[in-house]
Amino acid sequence: MSAPALAAITVSDLSKNFGHFQAVKGISFTVAPGEIVGFLGPNGAGKTTTIKMITGLLKITSGTVLIGGLDNRKHLAAIKKKLGYMSQKFSLYPLLTAMENIEFFGGISGLPPAELRLHMARMEEQVASDILGQKIQDVPPGIRQKVALFVCLMPEPEIILLDEPTSGVDPEARRLFWNELYGLKKHGKTLLVSTHNLDEAEYCDRIIIIHNGEIVACGEPEELLRQKGKVNIEELFKDAIQEHGQN
Amino acid sequence: MPSKNMGRIKAIIVKEFFHIMRDPRSLTMVFFIPLVMIFILGYSVSYDLNRIDAAVIDLSQSRLSKQLVQAFAANRIFVIRTRGNNGHGTLSLAAAEKMLRQQKIKEIIVIPADLSRCLAEKRQCSIGLIIDGSDVNIANLVYQYDERIILEFIAAMKGVGQLLKINTKIFFNPEARSQFFFIPGLVAVILLMISAMLTSLSVAKERETGSIALLFISPLKSREIIIGKTIPYIIVSLLDGVVILLFARFWFGIPLRGSLAVLLVFALLYIVSGLALGILISASAPTQRTAMLATLLITMLPSFLLSGFIFPLDSLSPVLRAISYVIPATYFLRIIRGVILKGAELRHFLFDGGMLIALSMVLLAAATRKFNRQRKAAQ
Repeated sequence: MSAPALAAITVSDLSKNFGHFQAVKGISFTVAPGEIVGFLGPNGAGKTTTIKMITGLLKITSGTVLIGGLDNRKHLAAIKKKLGYMSQKFSLYPLLTAMENIEFFGGISGLPPAELRLHMARMEEQVASDILGQKIQDVPPGIRQKVALFVCLMPEPEIILLDEPTSGVDPEARRLFWNELYGLKKHGKTLLVSTHNLDEAEYCDRIIIIHNGEIVACGEPEELLRQKGKVNIEELFKDAIQEHGQN
Repeated sequence: MPSKNMGRIKAIIVKEFFHIMRDPRSLTMVFFIPLVMIFILGYSVSYDLNRIDAAVIDLSQSRLSKQLVQAFAANRIFVIRTRGNNGHGTLSLAAAEKMLRQQKIKEIIVIPADLSRCLAEKRQCSIGLIIDGSDVNIANLVYQYDERIILEFIAAMKGVGQLLKINTKIFFNPEARSQFFFIPGLVAVILLMISAMLTSLSVAKERETGSIALLFISPLKSREIIIGKTIPYIIVSLLDGVVILLFARFWFGIPLRGSLAVLLVFALLYIVSGLALGILISASAPTQRTAMLATLLITMLPSFLLSGFIFPLDSLSPVLRAISYVIPATYFLRIIRGVILKGAELRHFLFDGGMLIALSMVLLAAATRKFNRQRKAAQ
């Protein structure tokens, strides 16, 4: 019998306190290699806090996070090489052009110049050069999102954490973005994508619904709908939150 | 006023009181800052000098001249030098002027050779005072102290006192223009404020926009981030310094008697300390606004009050004097005034330069440590 594949992300009993406020309350979940997991929840549910703890950007109050079996508090340097992170606000430098942002992030990732030039050429194939020459603050949100994802993928991470990557982006750009994520999955990447757009759950292999710092539902979207007898994710979401509120 | 209006006003009054009492920042502003300000200003706003280093060139070497030297020496704030650097021989005028240029003394008192003979022959005679005018306020104070001692000496000499006059020369700033004194000081304060502001806002902006998270998650080490962030601002601040100096030179007519290159070498060290201070401030400032206010307060207040810019360092209390030693502007002020007004050279500021290097290193180390701790605290 072969050993079970090592989870890409293992979160165990993870908590985060800000003073007396407990933002994340002992949550546990795993993400398997090559999986797209949707991390769903309303604003303030604890999605960003959890993702930041996974990346090592936020100190863990209690619990553990393993990335490919490595504890992120002990092996952060090694883990950084495996992780790609796209933050909620895209976090590109507004006064730099798209290409300058790509050059900068490639530089700090330590990409060799030749490889960086290849990446830049690839970006030029995807987006018109006049747009790439504009300051990133002046380009449409869809392009900013595309550049932010591109930047996140340049060091070729195995595991990609995307925090609200589709917020403020029009539906067509969202659809195209999810197509890109599927492409990444096909290349064996693992993705944890937080969103408060419930309709995006249909794109995910599994979803985790978080509310008030606790996981209220977890599983494959179809399976969860069938189990709960719901017709869409919105109903499932409302029901899970209501049920959680009553407990 | 109708009671309905009063009720509405009362609601606002109550709300404001709650705001003040429950907001730590307001409470700090109301109670802590005034106490800090009265403490600092109370000890620093003073034009009393605690020490005046003076060289006496007694060309007369008579009983009378020795009495005059004794009158100065007896005053507790005067520290009189009458001998050469090695402690032997009589001090020459050239050696004394060199000491004045090196800021080792604030004045030279010259007693003429014919003092006793002039007074015996009832002829007028002048005591020469050569005062360092690079700090107009101090020069005025020194003159006032000198005048008091000399007048008392004259008063004690019955009959011939009116024959003794004071002949004053102000060195380095003969017109005693206050701009000569204030503008180099302003250059120093502005340069520190701007350099600290540049880095503090830069880091705070990254924090506000969230881009700092991407730097933290990258393989970059904290010291690499700080070095990378500092170097462009060194160049920008240095250019800024050149622009300010040129403006001071050509708009305000401030002389540049020393070497611009020497000044820029020290300005470079000074700027590094300012940039490091900015990073240190920004590590505790969550927003750009807080960073800006904190930088203004931390750079301007001590630089104005405790660096010798406005009030003489000699007039500060021992505690504030000790604080003045850790303010970069204290050292750069001496350098900029020395180079601009006195034409002083690099070798005259080895101590000040050394202190600027030490402060820059300490501030850079503290900024890196704080930045690193902040990064680790997040992990």
